[in-house]
Amino acid sequence: MTLTQYQLAEQLEQALGNPQQAESLMSFQHTAELDEAEQFPHEEIAWLYNWGLQNYYIPTACSGKFTSFEEFVAFVRVLSRRDLNISIAFTTLFWSFLTWMAGSDAQKERLSHLMREEHTAMCLAYSEREHGSDLVGGSVTATKVDGGYLLNGEKWPINRATISGVTYVLARTDPEGGNRGLSLFMVEKDLLDAGQYYNLPKIKTHGIRAADMSGIGFSDCFIPDSMLLGKEGHGLELGLKGFQITRALCAAFSQGAADTTMRTTLNFAVHRKLYNKTVIDMPHARRTLSNAFIDMLICDCVNIGAARGFHVATDQFSVWSAVDKYFVPVTLEQVMKETSVVLGSRFYMRDEHDSGVFQKALRDSAIISMFDGSSVVNLHALILQRRQLAKARVRIRKKPEKLAAVQNRLAQSFSLAQPVPTFEPTKLELISRGADDLMQGIEGTIAKLEALHEPSESSLDSLRSDASTSDQTVISQVLELSRIILEELDAQDEQITQSAFEHGHDQSFESFELAKHYCRLHAAMACILMWLHNRELAELGDFFMKGEWLVVSLHRLLAHFRMTPLLSTGNLQASYHENVAQELLRLHKEDKMFSIVPFQLATPQPVASQSNGSHAGQSPSDQSQSNQPSTQEAISHATAPEPQLI
Amino acid sequence: MQQLQNPSSSESESVLKIQSWLVEQIADVLSLDPTTIDVKQPLTRYGLDSIDAVTLVGDLEDWLDLELPSTLLWDYPSIEKASAYMVEEFDVAVD
Repeated sequence: MTLTQYQLAEQLEQALGNPQQAESLMSFQHTAELDEAEQFPHEEIAWLYNWGLQNYYIPTACSGKFTSFEEFVAFVRVLSRRDLNISIAFTTLFWSFLTWMAGSDAQKERLSHLMREEHTAMCLAYSEREHGSDLVGGSVTATKVDGGYLLNGEKWPINRATISGVTYVLARTDPEGGNRGLSLFMVEKDLLDAGQYYNLPKIKTHGIRAADMSGIGFSDCFIPDSMLLGKEGHGLELGLKGFQITRALCAAFSQGAADTTMRTTLNFAVHRKLYNKTVIDMPHARRTLSNAFIDMLICDCVNIGAARGFHVATDQFSVWSAVDKYFVPVTLEQVMKETSVVLGSRFYMRDEHDSGVFQKALRDSAIISMFDGSSVVNLHALILQRRQLAKARVRIRKKPEKLAAVQNRLAQSFSLAQPVPTFEPTKLELISRGADDLMQGIEGTIAKLEALHEPSESSLDSLRSDASTSDQTVISQVLELSRIILEELDAQDEQITQSAFEHGHDQSFESFELAKHYCRLHAAMACILMWLHNRELAELGDFFMKGEWLVVSLHRLLAHFRMTPLLSTGNLQASYHENVAQELLRLHKEDKMFSIVPFQLATPQPVASQSNGSHAGQSPSDQSQSNQPSTQEAISHATAPEPQLI
Repeated sequence: MQQLQNPSSSESESVLKIQSWLVEQIADVLSLDPTTIDVKQPLTRYGLDSIDAVTLVGDLEDWLDLELPSTLLWDYPSIEKASAYMVEEFDVAVD
């Protein structure tokens, strides 16, 4: 049984077919060809529009079908595991959230129509050649004239600057206005005088080579007042809030790519024989892959928690989003690097072994930790809020009603069976005022674990009855590790509170290292909360419920801080690692996504039944699913490890 | 140190106290001599960037134990304007 919020993504997955089959629409072979030819994927994008995926970027209140970011990140993963370029090119549609957040009713209606009926795409034109991440320093101007503005200047490098109908342009409307001197415009290019704007040439890039990475320039380009989004002077605020939305979603790109690099490596490792052993049976390779899998599960907990938390703790996303955008892409980049060791030289080949998808995913994904705010930008955003986060933890301890509210929000953010409230972008705030539910709720979370561990002494009756079915050993280990998280957080808070606080861009190297540690502690709490709130959810299966993966996950995260006592209990850990490896192999064998959520991937189909584009025009709900447990394992895996084009 | 709606503290006194707190903070943040800071000048002139300005509002909130608009120093971009706004709109009184 699938959780309902994952059904759409599974339908898309089945409709797209198995990417290892050359005949499927977005096969590894075909997308490699597009990449080699540096050819924009027009047909594939058109297919997605015909399938109706754009509707899931438009809130229901604006005549679309978007209801949940958890659903959203699931389908972005489905696209990203096939081809990051297509996924990113289509997902520039998420900039529409700027309009859903700040647009007038007429602008919302117009954009919704353009996306649904005209299949319009959009791009974000903030960056400039000379100004990088410094948005306030930008040179593009919008000078007020009768009935509108005159735009002047160039935006570069901009993904989909050329092949898009709507351009969100950030421009200076008041030379003396400082932070309130920038305004945001939703520019419909079809309505412009074609002689007043121009596109800059395609930029050649290391990855996503088929992307329309270009730029746009304006020369006294008239745009009517109706294209101003929100109030004049509010462009920077809208821009920064918009980034909170998109940064948290970017992690899903990395997750899709990491799924593919792991899968193609396993295609090799489960069959390749060296020294009379298969690669996967060699201890180093086995542990390398099981560790990488654990890191992927940690990222799953962080990103699914964030996707849901968006609906619940919207005003905290200046923190959650920064953690998610730093932690997940950077962790998964490392996962890919480590996984590549097992695949050996094939990881570097452009036309061998699953059409060279490993090197392509590696190249394509390298941009994710850079765009929409680089790792440095996100860590910097955390550093500036870090002192308030520390102070707020002290303050909230004296306010039991607020602590209870934190626990309620955490339950809603992490219980996958619970529906999430409607996302309200107007609740976004530039700073979280020291709030981060995961960290403020840490003592409460530990109390819940203690209640599971010591049922006879607990006052939490509702949890006491559950304890009988729990593995007390795991609970005891999670409890021990969670106390280490608390100690580390307390120590860091103390250090932050007592040290001199630096504003601005003169932050020390050590401050960045502390911010990375904060992300790891936040991630550790996300894992604990995901388990705590779903350990009885049958859909997630025995592996998830047993919680051994959680012990290993916490162990890996805390190893950055100190050697934990559990490290010395070799036998126990060895069995945990082996069980993690077994789960990894099961998911691979059954063509399931490498995730805490059971997610059936498309299995190979006989060529005759492939019907690329046959779903065009149908709504996803009309389509039949073929997500039966794999009966084609023989086909799916028999051809590995050598060049594998089924 | 600070109270809200303290009738004993006159508005102008509160404005001056907020001003001097801001001067001190900004001098510290930007490594400037406090005597060189003119409360009438836009803060951007001293190199206070957009995110610094938002962070400083957080510090103000801590000091005053009061929730303020995070863009306060964008909308009232000089020390004089921001201090006057806080006293006027939020009845902030500092003694």
